[in-house]
Amino acid sequence: MTVTSDDGSVGPLREALGVCAAAGMSGALRVTGRPGGAIHFADGQVVAIETPGAPSPEVLLLRSHRVTESDWDAAFAAAAVAGRPMSTELVARQLMGAGELEILLRTAVADAIFVLASGTVEEYRAEPGQLEFVLPLQPGAETDWLLAEASRRIRVLATLPHQDRVVAASAMSADSVRLGDGQDEILALADGRRTTRDIAFALGRGVYATTLALARLRAAGQLVTASSRAPGPAQGQPAQEQPVRPALPRRQPEPARQERRHRLPSRTPDLRAPLSLLRPRSGRDPGS
Amino acid sequence: MAALIRVDVYSSVRGVASRSRRRGEEIVSSLTESLRQVMAVDGVRGAALIDIATGMVVAAAGGQAEDFPAAAAGLADEARMTRALLGPGRPGGQLEEVSVFTKGRLHLAKVLDSRLGDGVLLFIDLDRARGNMALASLRAAQLAPAILA
Repeated sequence: MTVTSDDGSVGPLREALGVCAAAGMSGALRVTGRPGGAIHFADGQVVAIETPGAPSPEVLLLRSHRVTESDWDAAFAAAAVAGRPMSTELVARQLMGAGELEILLRTAVADAIFVLASGTVEEYRAEPGQLEFVLPLQPGAETDWLLAEASRRIRVLATLPHQDRVVAASAMSADSVRLGDGQDEILALADGRRTTRDIAFALGRGVYATTLALARLRAAGQLVTASSRAPGPAQGQPAQEQPVRPALPRRQPEPARQERRHRLPSRTPDLRAPLSLLRPRSGRDPGS
Repeated sequence: MAALIRVDVYSSVRGVASRSRRRGEEIVSSLTESLRQVMAVDGVRGAALIDIATGMVVAAAGGQAEDFPAAAAGLADEARMTRALLGPGRPGGQLEEVSVFTKGRLHLAKVLDSRLGDGVLLFIDLDRARGNMALASLRAAQLAPAILA
Protein backbone atom coordinates (compact mmCIF):
# COMPACT_ATOMS: atom_id res chain seq x y z
CA MET A 1 0.00 0.00 0.00
CA THR A 2 1.40 3.33 -1.00
CA VAL A 3 -0.34 6.60 -0.39
CA THR A 4 1.37 9.65 -1.68
CA SER A 5 0.83 13.22 -0.72
CA ASP A 6 2.72 16.46 -1.00
CA ASP A 7 0.66 18.12 1.70
CA GLY A 8 2.14 18.50 5.16
CA SER A 9 -1.12 18.91 7.04
CA VAL A 10 -2.72 16.36 9.34
CA GLY A 11 -4.91 15.36 6.37
CA PRO A 12 -2.73 12.80 4.58
CA LEU A 13 -1.41 11.49 7.87
CA ARG A 14 -4.99 10.97 8.97
CA GLU A 15 -5.70 8.94 5.85
CA ALA A 16 -2.70 6.65 6.27
CA LEU A 17 -3.17 6.20 10.02
CA GLY A 18 -6.86 5.52 9.45
CA VAL A 19 -6.11 2.75 6.97
CA CYS A 20 -3.63 1.07 9.32
CA ALA A 21 -6.00 1.37 12.28
CA ALA A 22 -9.00 0.06 10.33
CA ALA A 23 -6.97 -2.92 9.10
CA GLY A 24 -5.84 -3.65 12.66
CA MET A 25 -2.32 -3.68 11.30
CA SER A 26 0.71 -4.88 13.20
CA GLY A 27 3.80 -3.42 11.64
CA ALA A 28 5.36 -0.17 10.57
CA LEU A 29 3.95 2.78 8.65
CA ARG A 30 7.02 4.38 7.14
CA VAL A 31 6.67 8.06 6.38
CA THR A 32 9.13 9.81 4.11
CA GLY A 33 9.41 13.56 4.25
CA ARG A 34 10.70 16.03 6.77
CA PRO A 35 11.44 14.86 9.35
CA GLY A 36 9.86 11.54 8.39
CA GLY A 37 9.93 8.42 10.50
CA ALA A 38 8.24 5.14 11.25
CA ILE A 39 4.95 4.75 13.10
CA HIS A 40 4.71 1.30 14.64
CA PHE A 41 1.37 -0.41 15.12
CA ALA A 42 0.17 -3.38 17.09
CA ASP A 43 -3.35 -4.51 16.22
CA GLY A 44 -4.20 -1.11 14.79
CA GLN A 45 -2.90 0.92 17.73
CA VAL A 46 0.27 3.02 17.80
CA VAL A 47 2.88 1.57 20.15
CA ALA A 48 6.02 3.48 19.14
CA ILE A 49 7.23 6.14 16.74
CA GLU A 50 10.77 6.54 15.50
CA THR A 51 11.59 9.94 14.03
CA PRO A 52 14.67 12.15 14.09
CA GLY A 53 12.29 15.06 14.72
CA ALA A 54 11.20 14.19 18.25
CA PRO A 55 12.98 12.72 21.30
CA SER A 56 12.40 9.01 21.91
CA PRO A 57 11.40 7.79 25.38
CA GLU A 58 15.03 6.82 25.94
CA VAL A 59 16.21 10.35 25.15
CA LEU A 60 13.47 11.83 27.36
CA LEU A 61 14.50 9.67 30.31
CA LEU A 62 18.26 10.01 30.00
CA ARG A 63 18.65 13.63 28.93
CA SER A 64 16.26 14.82 31.63
CA HIS A 65 18.33 12.78 34.10
CA ARG A 66 15.15 11.10 35.24
CA VAL A 67 17.07 7.83 34.88
CA THR A 68 20.86 7.81 34.99
CA GLU A 69 22.79 6.20 32.18
CA SER A 70 24.33 3.62 34.48
CA ASP A 71 20.91 2.63 35.85
CA TRP A 72 19.58 2.45 32.30
CA ASP A 73 22.46 0.31 31.08
CA ALA A 74 22.15 -2.05 34.04
CA ALA A 75 18.38 -2.41 33.50
CA PHE A 76 18.88 -2.93 29.78
CA ALA A 77 21.44 -5.67 30.31
CA ALA A 78 19.30 -7.39 32.94
CA ALA A 79 16.21 -7.22 30.72
CA ALA A 80 18.15 -8.78 27.85
CA VAL A 81 19.48 -11.59 30.03
CA ALA A 82 16.13 -12.31 31.67
CA GLY A 83 14.30 -11.95 28.36
CA ARG A 84 11.74 -9.60 29.81
CA PRO A 85 10.54 -6.18 28.67
CA MET A 86 12.52 -3.08 29.55
CA SER A 87 9.38 -1.49 31.01
CA THR A 88 9.03 -4.37 33.48
CA GLU A 89 12.71 -4.07 34.35
CA LEU A 90 12.54 -0.30 34.97
CA VAL A 91 9.53 -0.71 37.25
CA ALA A 92 10.96 -3.75 39.06
CA ARG A 93 14.14 -1.79 39.79
CA GLN A 94 12.02 1.07 41.09
CA LEU A 95 13.60 3.42 38.61
CA MET A 96 10.11 4.45 37.48
CA GLY A 97 6.52 3.80 38.40
CA ALA A 98 4.31 1.95 35.91
CA GLY A 99 1.93 4.92 35.73
CA GLU A 100 4.71 7.44 35.25
CA LEU A 101 6.23 5.29 32.51
CA GLU A 102 2.88 5.02 30.74
CA ILE A 103 2.50 8.81 30.88
CA LEU A 104 6.00 9.23 29.45
CA LEU A 105 5.35 6.80 26.59
CA ARG A 106 1.99 8.33 25.69
CA THR A 107 3.52 11.80 25.80
CA ALA A 108 6.40 10.69 23.56
CA VAL A 109 4.10 9.15 20.95
CA ALA A 110 1.84 12.23 20.94
CA ASP A 111 4.86 14.51 20.52
CA ALA A 112 6.18 12.46 17.62
CA ILE A 113 2.82 12.49 15.79
CA PHE A 114 2.64 16.24 16.31
CA VAL A 115 6.11 16.65 14.80
CA LEU A 116 5.27 14.42 11.82
CA ALA A 117 1.96 16.22 11.27
CA SER A 118 3.72 19.60 11.42
CA GLY A 119 6.42 18.61 8.96
CA THR A 120 6.17 17.63 5.34
CA VAL A 121 4.95 14.21 4.29
CA GLU A 122 5.91 12.85 0.90
CA GLU A 123 5.06 9.19 0.88
CA TYR A 124 3.72 6.44 3.09
CA ARG A 125 4.50 2.77 3.00
CA ALA A 126 2.97 0.18 5.29
CA GLU A 127 5.18 -2.76 6.21
CA PRO A 128 3.28 -5.39 8.15
CA GLY A 129 5.51 -7.48 10.37
CA GLN A 130 6.78 -7.80 13.87
CA LEU A 131 9.34 -5.46 15.33
CA GLU A 132 10.86 -5.24 18.76
CA PHE A 133 11.05 -2.06 20.76
CA VAL A 134 12.87 -1.14 23.86
CA LEU A 135 9.84 0.63 25.31
CA PRO A 136 6.54 0.06 23.48
CA LEU A 137 3.42 1.84 24.72
CA GLN A 138 1.06 -0.81 26.06
CA PRO A 139 -1.82 -0.59 25.46
CA GLY A 140 -1.14 1.44 22.32
CA ALA A 141 -2.63 4.82 21.43
CA GLU A 142 -5.73 5.15 19.26
CA THR A 143 -4.97 6.94 16.00
CA ASP A 144 -8.04 9.21 16.31
CA TRP A 145 -6.87 10.39 19.70
CA LEU A 146 -3.34 11.04 18.40
CA LEU A 147 -4.59 13.03 15.41
CA ALA A 148 -7.03 15.07 17.51
CA GLU A 149 -4.19 15.95 19.90
CA ALA A 150 -1.85 16.88 17.04
CA SER A 151 -4.55 19.14 15.55
CA ARG A 152 -5.13 20.79 18.92
CA ARG A 153 -1.41 21.51 19.28
CA ILE A 154 -1.16 22.94 15.77
CA ARG A 155 -4.16 25.19 16.50
CA VAL A 156 -2.63 26.37 19.78
CA LEU A 157 0.68 27.24 18.12
CA ALA A 158 -1.13 29.12 15.34
CA THR A 159 -2.21 31.62 18.01
CA LEU A 160 1.28 32.07 19.49
CA PRO A 161 4.15 33.98 18.01
CA HIS A 162 7.01 31.51 17.93
CA GLN A 163 10.24 31.12 16.11
CA ASP A 164 12.81 28.47 15.78
CA ARG A 165 15.83 30.50 16.80
CA VAL A 166 15.64 32.82 19.72
CA VAL A 167 18.16 34.23 22.11
CA ALA A 168 18.06 35.59 25.67
CA ALA A 169 16.90 39.22 25.63
CA SER A 170 20.07 40.26 27.41
CA ALA A 171 23.22 38.44 28.38
CA MET A 172 22.32 39.16 31.98
CA SER A 173 18.97 37.46 31.91
CA ALA A 174 20.50 34.18 30.88
CA ASP A 175 22.73 34.24 33.93
CA SER A 176 20.84 35.95 36.67
CA VAL A 177 17.15 35.35 36.20
CA ARG A 178 15.69 32.50 38.17
CA LEU A 179 12.42 31.60 36.59
CA GLY A 180 12.01 28.07 37.86
CA ASP A 181 10.04 25.19 36.28
CA GLY A 182 12.84 24.36 33.89
CA GLN A 183 12.71 27.76 32.22
CA ASP A 184 16.24 28.66 33.30
CA GLU A 185 17.61 25.64 31.48
CA ILE A 186 15.76 26.61 28.31
CA LEU A 187 16.90 30.20 28.56
CA ALA A 188 20.51 29.09 29.00
CA LEU A 189 20.35 27.01 25.81
CA ALA A 190 18.60 29.62 23.66
CA ASP A 191 21.63 31.06 21.92
CA GLY A 192 20.10 31.95 18.56
CA ARG A 193 21.74 28.96 16.91
CA ARG A 194 20.01 26.04 18.53
CA THR A 195 16.63 25.16 17.11
CA THR A 196 13.61 24.26 19.21
CA ARG A 197 14.36 20.64 18.39
CA ASP A 198 17.98 21.00 19.51
CA ILE A 199 16.84 22.36 22.87
CA ALA A 200 14.17 19.67 23.28
CA PHE A 201 16.74 16.91 22.65
CA ALA A 202 19.33 18.53 24.91
CA LEU A 203 16.93 18.77 27.85
CA GLY A 204 14.95 15.58 27.27
CA ARG A 205 11.68 17.49 26.86
CA GLY A 206 9.04 17.15 24.18
CA VAL A 207 9.28 19.33 21.09
CA TYR A 208 5.79 20.76 21.65
CA ALA A 209 6.43 21.46 25.34
CA THR A 210 9.69 23.18 24.39
CA THR A 211 8.00 25.23 21.66
CA LEU A 212 5.38 26.40 24.15
CA ALA A 213 8.00 27.25 26.76
CA LEU A 214 10.03 29.25 24.23
CA ALA A 215 6.92 31.11 23.05
CA ARG A 216 6.03 32.01 26.64
CA LEU A 217 9.54 33.20 27.40
CA ARG A 218 9.41 35.28 24.26
CA ALA A 219 6.03 36.73 25.23
CA ALA A 220 7.48 37.57 28.65
CA GLY A 221 10.34 39.44 27.00
CA GLN A 222 12.98 36.98 28.19
CA LEU A 223 13.78 35.88 24.65
CA VAL A 224 14.04 37.81 21.43
CA THR A 225 14.51 36.99 17.78
CA ALA A 226 18.08 35.88 17.19
CA SER A 227 18.77 38.81 14.85
CA SER A 228 17.53 41.56 17.16
CA ARG A 229 20.25 41.14 19.79
CA ALA A 230 24.01 41.18 19.28
CA PRO A 231 24.54 40.51 15.57
CA GLY A 232 26.29 37.23 14.95
CA PRO A 233 28.52 36.46 11.96
CA ALA A 234 27.44 38.12 8.73
CA GLN A 235 24.29 36.46 7.52
CA GLY A 236 23.39 35.82 3.92
CA GLN A 237 19.82 36.83 4.44
CA PRO A 238 18.01 39.01 6.91
CA ALA A 239 16.18 37.06 9.57
CA GLN A 240 12.57 36.64 8.69
CA GLU A 241 9.47 35.94 10.66
CA GLN A 242 8.66 32.28 10.31
CA PRO A 243 5.25 31.50 8.86
CA VAL A 244 2.75 30.54 11.51
CA ARG A 245 1.82 27.33 9.70
CA PRO A 246 3.18 24.70 9.57
CA ALA A 247 3.37 24.82 13.31
CA LEU A 248 6.94 23.66 13.64
CA PRO A 249 9.40 26.31 12.61
CA ARG A 250 12.09 24.99 10.37
CA ARG A 251 15.70 25.69 9.83
CA GLN A 252 16.58 28.87 8.06
CA PRO A 253 19.79 29.52 6.24
CA GLU A 254 22.20 30.27 9.02
CA PRO A 255 25.75 31.36 9.47
CA ALA A 256 28.34 29.54 7.42
CA ARG A 257 29.29 27.12 10.18
CA GLN A 258 25.88 25.48 10.20
CA GLU A 259 25.64 25.32 6.44
CA ARG A 260 28.98 23.62 6.12
CA ARG A 261 28.15 21.05 8.70
CA HIS A 262 24.91 19.91 7.14
CA ARG A 263 25.33 20.73 3.48
CA LEU A 264 21.60 20.70 3.19
CA PRO A 265 19.27 23.28 1.72
CA SER A 266 17.28 25.56 3.96
CA ARG A 267 14.14 24.20 5.58
CA THR A 268 15.83 20.84 5.98
CA PRO A 269 15.60 19.69 9.56
CA ASP A 270 18.59 18.48 11.47
CA LEU A 271 19.06 14.85 10.54
CA ARG A 272 21.52 13.87 13.21
CA ALA A 273 20.33 10.57 14.61
CA PRO A 274 18.79 10.87 18.07
CA LEU A 275 21.00 7.99 19.14
CA SER A 276 24.02 10.22 18.92
CA LEU A 277 22.56 12.10 21.85
CA LEU A 278 22.24 9.08 24.04
CA ARG A 279 25.87 8.67 24.85
CA PRO A 280 27.21 12.18 24.88
CA ARG A 281 30.91 12.49 25.41
CA SER A 282 32.05 15.45 27.37
CA GLY A 283 33.06 18.25 25.09
CA ARG A 284 31.13 16.82 22.19
CA ASP A 285 27.70 17.27 23.65
CA PRO A 286 25.58 18.83 20.90
CA GLY A 287 23.28 20.22 23.57
CA SER A 288 25.79 22.44 25.31
CA MET B 1 -9.05 -11.95 37.23
CA ALA B 2 -7.87 -8.85 35.44
CA ALA B 3 -4.52 -9.08 37.17
CA LEU B 4 -4.06 -12.66 36.05
CA ILE B 5 -4.71 -11.77 32.42
CA ARG B 6 -2.23 -8.93 32.64
CA VAL B 7 0.56 -11.16 33.97
CA ASP B 8 -0.20 -13.75 31.34
CA VAL B 9 0.04 -11.24 28.50
CA TYR B 10 3.18 -9.62 29.82
CA SER B 11 4.97 -12.91 30.26
CA SER B 12 4.29 -13.75 26.64
CA VAL B 13 5.31 -10.50 24.95
CA ARG B 14 9.01 -10.02 25.65
CA GLY B 15 8.83 -6.62 24.06
CA VAL B 16 7.43 -7.82 20.76
CA ALA B 17 4.95 -5.12 19.90
CA SER B 18 2.78 -7.08 17.52
CA ARG B 19 2.31 -9.87 20.00
CA SER B 20 1.60 -7.53 22.88
CA ARG B 21 -2.14 -8.11 22.67
CA ARG B 22 -4.01 -11.28 22.07
CA ARG B 23 -7.38 -11.37 20.46
CA GLY B 24 -10.08 -10.88 23.04
CA GLU B 25 -7.63 -9.82 25.74
CA GLU B 26 -6.56 -6.32 26.57
CA ILE B 27 -3.48 -5.18 28.37
CA VAL B 28 -4.85 -3.09 31.18
CA SER B 29 -3.65 0.48 31.20
CA SER B 30 -2.22 1.27 34.60
CA LEU B 31 -3.59 4.84 34.31
CA THR B 32 -7.08 3.73 33.31
CA GLU B 33 -7.10 1.36 36.24
CA SER B 34 -6.14 4.19 38.62
CA LEU B 35 -8.82 6.49 37.24
CA ARG B 36 -11.39 3.75 37.70
CA GLN B 37 -10.65 3.81 41.42
CA VAL B 38 -11.05 7.59 41.50
CA MET B 39 -14.40 7.21 39.73
CA ALA B 40 -15.56 4.95 42.56
CA VAL B 41 -15.43 7.88 45.02
CA ASP B 42 -18.92 9.19 45.86
CA GLY B 43 -20.09 12.05 43.67
CA VAL B 44 -17.28 11.84 41.09
CA ARG B 45 -18.65 12.43 37.59
CA GLY B 46 -15.40 12.31 35.68
CA ALA B 47 -11.65 12.07 36.20
CA ALA B 48 -8.65 12.73 33.99
CA LEU B 49 -4.90 12.99 34.01
CA ILE B 50 -3.52 16.11 32.34
CA ASP B 51 0.12 16.71 31.43
CA ILE B 52 0.94 20.22 32.62
CA ALA B 53 3.75 20.91 30.13
CA THR B 54 1.61 20.21 27.05
CA GLY B 55 -1.95 20.48 28.37
CA MET B 56 -2.62 17.04 26.94
CA VAL B 57 -5.26 14.72 28.40
CA VAL B 58 -3.18 11.60 29.02
CA ALA B 59 -6.06 9.47 30.25
CA ALA B 60 -9.70 10.08 31.09
CA ALA B 61 -12.64 8.27 32.66
CA GLY B 62 -16.31 9.07 33.05
CA GLY B 63 -18.29 11.56 31.01
CA GLN B 64 -16.42 14.46 29.48
CA ALA B 65 -17.71 17.28 27.34
CA GLU B 66 -16.64 17.35 23.71
CA ASP B 67 -14.44 20.39 24.28
CA PHE B 68 -12.73 18.81 27.28
CA PRO B 69 -9.26 18.67 25.65
CA ALA B 70 -9.31 22.46 25.26
CA ALA B 71 -10.61 22.93 28.82
CA ALA B 72 -7.92 20.59 30.13
CA ALA B 73 -5.21 22.61 28.39
CA GLY B 74 -6.67 25.72 30.03
CA LEU B 75 -6.51 24.01 33.39
CA ALA B 76 -2.84 23.17 32.82
CA ASP B 77 -2.20 26.84 31.99
CA GLU B 78 -3.99 27.83 35.16
CA ALA B 79 -1.83 25.50 37.24
CA ARG B 80 1.31 26.98 35.70
CA MET B 81 0.17 30.54 36.31
CA THR B 82 -0.80 29.69 39.87
CA ARG B 83 2.68 28.28 40.38
CA ALA B 84 4.15 31.54 39.13
CA LEU B 85 2.02 33.41 41.68
CA LEU B 86 3.60 31.40 44.48
CA GLY B 87 6.76 33.37 43.91
CA PRO B 88 10.44 32.57 43.54
CA GLY B 89 11.54 29.69 45.71
CA ARG B 90 7.90 29.04 46.69
CA PRO B 91 8.26 30.06 50.35
CA GLY B 92 4.78 28.72 51.06
CA GLY B 93 5.53 25.35 49.49
CA GLN B 94 4.77 23.77 46.14
CA LEU B 95 1.38 23.94 44.45
CA GLU B 96 -0.69 20.98 45.58
CA GLU B 97 -4.18 21.56 44.31
CA VAL B 98 -6.36 23.97 42.37
CA SER B 99 -10.05 23.94 43.31
CA VAL B 100 -12.89 25.56 41.44
CA PHE B 101 -16.31 25.80 43.06
CA THR B 102 -19.57 26.49 41.31
CA LYS B 103 -23.07 26.14 42.73
CA GLY B 104 -23.44 22.58 41.51
CA ARG B 105 -19.90 21.39 40.92
CA LEU B 106 -16.48 21.12 42.37
CA HIS B 107 -13.45 20.75 40.15
CA LEU B 108 -10.32 19.51 41.84
CA ALA B 109 -6.96 19.49 40.11
CA LYS B 110 -4.38 17.79 42.25
CA VAL B 111 -0.73 18.07 41.25
CA LEU B 112 1.03 14.73 40.94
CA ASP B 113 4.71 15.35 41.20
CA SER B 114 6.26 13.52 38.35
CA ARG B 115 9.98 14.10 38.07
CA LEU B 116 9.45 14.33 34.32
CA GLY B 117 8.31 17.55 32.69
CA ASP B 118 6.21 19.92 34.74
CA GLY B 119 4.12 17.31 36.50
CA VAL B 120 0.66 15.89 35.97
CA LEU B 121 -2.77 17.03 37.17
CA LEU B 122 -5.32 14.61 38.52
CA PHE B 123 -8.56 16.34 37.53
CA ILE B 124 -11.78 15.37 39.29
CA ASP B 125 -15.22 16.62 38.37
CA LEU B 126 -17.43 16.30 41.44
CA ASP B 127 -21.16 16.74 41.90
CA ARG B 128 -21.59 18.95 44.98
CA ALA B 129 -25.05 17.60 45.68
CA ARG B 130 -23.87 13.99 45.72
CA GLY B 131 -20.34 14.24 46.95
CA ASN B 132 -18.68 15.24 50.16
CA MET B 133 -15.98 17.64 49.02
CA ALA B 134 -13.65 17.21 51.95
CA LEU B 135 -13.93 13.45 51.70
CA ALA B 136 -13.39 13.46 47.94
CA SER B 137 -10.33 15.65 48.27
CA LEU B 138 -8.96 13.41 50.98
CA ARG B 139 -9.66 10.29 48.96
CA ALA B 140 -8.01 11.83 45.89
CA ALA B 141 -4.98 12.63 47.99
CA GLN B 142 -4.87 9.01 49.16
CA LEU B 143 -5.16 7.63 45.63
CA ALA B 144 -2.79 10.15 44.00
CA PRO B 145 0.58 8.61 44.91
CA ALA B 146 -0.43 5.24 43.47
CA ILE B 147 -1.25 6.75 40.08
CA LEU B 148 2.36 7.39 39.10
CA ALA B 149 3.67 4.32 40.91
